[in-house]
Amino acid sequence: MEARDAWKLTDRLQAPSGKGDPFAAAVRATRMPMVVTDPGQPDNPIVFVNDAFLQLTGYERHQVIGRNCRFLQGPDTDQAAVSAIRAAVESKTDIAIDILNYRRDGTPFWNALYLSPVTDDDGELLFFFASQLDVTQRKRAELDVIEERDRVEAAVAERTQELEVALQARTDLLHEVDHRVKNNLQLISALVLIERRKATDAATKATLTTLRERVEALSAVHRLLYRNDNVVRFDVAGFIREFAAEAAQARGKPPVGLKLDLDSISVAAAFAAPVALMASELVRIAITHALASGTERYISLSIKPTSDALYRFCIADDGTAEGIITSIEPDQKSFIELLATQLHAKVHWNGYVGPSHSICVDLPIDEPPRGG
Amino acid sequence: MDTQLRVFVVEDEVLLQMQLEVFLDEAGHLMVGSATTMHEAITRAPTAGADLALVDIHLADGPTGVEVGRALADMGLPVVFMTANARRIPADFSGAIGIISKPYSQTGVAEALKFLVSAVKHPPPEAPLPPCLTLAPALAERWRVN
Repeated sequence: MEARDAWKLTDRLQAPSGKGDPFAAAVRATRMPMVVTDPGQPDNPIVFVNDAFLQLTGYERHQVIGRNCRFLQGPDTDQAAVSAIRAAVESKTDIAIDILNYRRDGTPFWNALYLSPVTDDDGELLFFFASQLDVTQRKRAELDVIEERDRVEAAVAERTQELEVALQARTDLLHEVDHRVKNNLQLISALVLIERRKATDAATKATLTTLRERVEALSAVHRLLYRNDNVVRFDVAGFIREFAAEAAQARGKPPVGLKLDLDSISVAAAFAAPVALMASELVRIAITHALASGTERYISLSIKPTSDALYRFCIADDGTAEGIITSIEPDQKSFIELLATQLHAKVHWNGYVGPSHSICVDLPIDEPPRGG
Repeated sequence: MDTQLRVFVVEDEVLLQMQLEVFLDEAGHLMVGSATTMHEAITRAPTAGADLALVDIHLADGPTGVEVGRALADMGLPVVFMTANARRIPADFSGAIGIISKPYSQTGVAEALKFLVSAVKHPPPEAPLPPCLTLAPALAERWRVN
């Protein structure tokens, strides 16, 4: 038991006099609170404390010697930390942990505890050595940061929810407006229908038919804008495909054949109506031409980007009859030119691709919105 | 083969009712009755002798069209919704065959009816599915179209 009694010697040392073991003197005099416990005795009692420990905890030496360290625990001490320390003691390993301890007067402090076993040369456990450090200031700062973070997170969550509610309200409103626009377009086409059925002369009927077809082109725009949940971009190719399929059915028996070569092109929704009106007018010209010629087997519709800033929409016949240009009414030409002015587009009225005749329009590709 | 459909129309806008009647007539079909509210629809439809009901979602008594569609489908009357707001229709289409989106065109409706004649009278349908008609997912799968 020679080693086991060594600490008793330490306690009897006269530190200030400098006599005895200088390491023991250092332990006694250091400002770092330190404790030695003896696991050889029942309940692993304290067998040594230095003055710094007594200063930190407010106890007298005789009040702590012989007691287990658990008297430092209090009501708010984390039981998980207590268990971790117990496990370290049982497995004779070291541990560094922050634990909430209490002084003699009941005030809490954060203790950065370092506990390690002390063994002899044969590996037999002699003592536990523990150092304490009051880290209440650091811990408070940490807790403040956590509290601040929680506060900010709560504020962000609240704001996010407000924004989601606002966005939902806006989306609902948009759906409501979209719904009314579509209903009104349906009503407009019903009104045109009434007048068309009343009309007795061919010219009036023809005018109202044109009007109906243009309203139907606008209707198709609005059907498409919402179908893909995209109210910002308008799918020009999708529009032409759908409009042409219907228009080819509408007037021909058998329907006019379509050759489609449509690249995916989209424009800002703001340009949807004029682009759709222009494209639908050209599609109707092509179909009328095919029907009037009596020999055309099909019409071709194509849409291609031609440069970074332009795309080209073309209608073409199959070249078996007179040029497509012969089927255009003067008012149709001026209608298309009017829309071209608005869209900064250029119309090529009399083109040729091989034997077939074509009408092409070069339209500017608008800049898609950034980050959207 | 009988290609005429007898159609019951549930639509609160009288102008659109009238327009549909013309579309049906010019496509060779017949409007056999109409309603503007859920109550009218449910009381009139059973005795109308219809092959098909075209049902708007927003009726004179509110957005009751989905419920009307369910009730008529439960009576064994095939339903097609006609609406500008397909979002209101549940994922199972409330028992309906499909949706014709507003604003529809005369050709679009005629094409849809061409498909519906065989879909309703002698399924599976023979005509190709026109772009203006969206089929209920279950039927689209059964008929292998879309």
